[in-house]
Amino acid sequence: MMDVLIETRGLTRNYGEICALKPLDLRVNNGEWLSIMGHSGSGKSTLLNLLGGLDRPSDGFIRVGGEDLRVLSEDGMARYRREFVGIIFQQHHLIPYLTAVENIMMAQYFHSVPDEAEARTALERVGLGHRLKNRPGELSGGEQQRVCIARAIINSPRLLLGDEPTGNLDHGSTRVVMELLSELRAEEQFTIIMVTHNHEVAAWGDRTIYLDDGVMVREELKGD
Amino acid sequence: MLISIIMGASVATAFLGLAGELSFRIAMEMRNYGANILVEPMAAEQGGFLSDADLPKIKTVFWRYNITGFAPYLFGVIDISAGTKREKSVVTGTWFARLLTSEGEDESIQGVKVIAPWWGLSGTWPEAVNEAIIGAALAKRLGVVSGEEVTTTKERRTQIFRVVGIVTTGGYEEEQLFAPLATVQSLLGAPGRISRVLVSALTVPMDDFGRRDPAGMSKEEYEKWYCTAYVTSVAKNVEEVMSGSRAKPIWQIASAEGSLLTKLNRLMILLALLALTAAATAVSTSLMASMTERSPEIALMKAIGADSLQIIIVLLGEILVISSVGGLIGYLCGEQLAGFVSRSVFDASLQPSLWLLPTAVVSAMTVAMAGSIMPLRKALAIEPVQGLKG
Repeated sequence: MMDVLIETRGLTRNYGEICALKPLDLRVNNGEWLSIMGHSGSGKSTLLNLLGGLDRPSDGFIRVGGEDLRVLSEDGMARYRREFVGIIFQQHHLIPYLTAVENIMMAQYFHSVPDEAEARTALERVGLGHRLKNRPGELSGGEQQRVCIARAIINSPRLLLGDEPTGNLDHGSTRVVMELLSELRAEEQFTIIMVTHNHEVAAWGDRTIYLDDGVMVREELKGD
Repeated sequence: MLISIIMGASVATAFLGLAGELSFRIAMEMRNYGANILVEPMAAEQGGFLSDADLPKIKTVFWRYNITGFAPYLFGVIDISAGTKREKSVVTGTWFARLLTSEGEDESIQGVKVIAPWWGLSGTWPEAVNEAIIGAALAKRLGVVSGEEVTTTKERRTQIFRVVGIVTTGGYEEEQLFAPLATVQSLLGAPGRISRVLVSALTVPMDDFGRRDPAGMSKEEYEKWYCTAYVTSVAKNVEEVMSGSRAKPIWQIASAEGSLLTKLNRLMILLALLALTAAATAVSTSLMASMTERSPEIALMKAIGADSLQIIIVLLGEILVISSVGGLIGYLCGEQLAGFVSRSVFDASLQPSLWLLPTAVVSAMTVAMAGSIMPLRKALAIEPVQGLKG
């Protein structure tokens, strides 16, 4: 039996009177690649934010890697995010006045100690060894996303979250990014949870769940 | 934000730099309103006298450079006549504008002309031993005008003076005849004697310590008191070199001067604080706008694991670096501003005050930190999810 990394029971998130995520029971195994699909407003990003410690549930139980996220303080949540989670954003969210390598080092700084050699190696792993000193504005969308991936994995997270990481990329760049994530996962053995609209992207996962209006309506295993 | 800090540090530096210069200039101006130390014989009530041989020593005391001028006086009652008019009056022997040479010191001009520049004189100052100036009231009663002679008699000694000027002061001086000290000493039969000395000195405002009786002070306290330019310690200096004298502050002058200078310094410090407060408010406003603008960046820092302390360190670090640069530039601008004001108002250049550099930098950093309290609270309250949505 595989060990469970993530477990939620009755996980709920309300924004005022709007229920963005209705009571959800979910288990994700260690090392699994889970894709989450659904149309806009279905609760995909809300679930991802709760799993990443970026938001707090209104109700229900959520445990990730043995941490009960409901009881963590603000600084405890920050520690959880820097030590346990890596996040790949659709909009990349790179600091525009820092170079690629400096963007990676910033994540190192908040985690422990900046190490430029290690940051360079991370960028080389995502194929950007020749773009170390370029600022985000000088990089293509695909390159920026690879910097974002390097930043997400630099502190060796156990859980990698992707919020539509290929949403702004063309087909070629999407394939490059997905192959890269697949290779990294094979090397690092981290768990991936990825929100996407794209069935091709979702198909890279071991399992796909479908959300609709805050409710999990369907679940597919790879090959189904 | 940098401009706000530069403006605040500039104005504060200029005010603080000018405060010292302004105090000095006002103190110099105040010296024109009369001497602030009176030196009398120890036994003045018994008709004692001081010796004019001690006068050059006044410019050799510890606080000699603070003594801007002094004048000796010898008073005597004489019979004075002009034409057919005669009466008893007071003759005052003094120095008008005497070139004084003190051992080991530069030459200086001392006398009434130096310490009482407000005297209105119609005519010229006496230069010859038999020239005198006469108070306006006395001149009127005797019917004397400039160029005429008056005859003075004391016991069997007679001295004829040629009047070269009429003095108007609005005070008791208008009832007297003023003549060279040596001539009056001969007339009164008091060679080498003087009745009093009026000293004009630059002093610092009196405080509680300055008002204490030096007789009750410890050695260290006495040294501190002696080495501070209180009017009392300068008076003590003078007393030490004038044999048989007692020197005391003329309090109506000294206290008015001290009070004015204290208020002036308070005003300048208050204005500097107001400038810094205005700068802190401007810094706070611009930082609040900056935090709004940088919400996504701060949210990202939080999303990748920065805790509150790390956010504060990053933002405050930036603020302190910017404020240090702002303080340095503010100091340089403030020095120029103070120099401009000093040249415009006092027609004098201002010496750069290096002590203001750390003051300006620390002030700028303090202002920036004070102004960043609210913006930092705002930054810490940014929710990662909301901030990243933009």
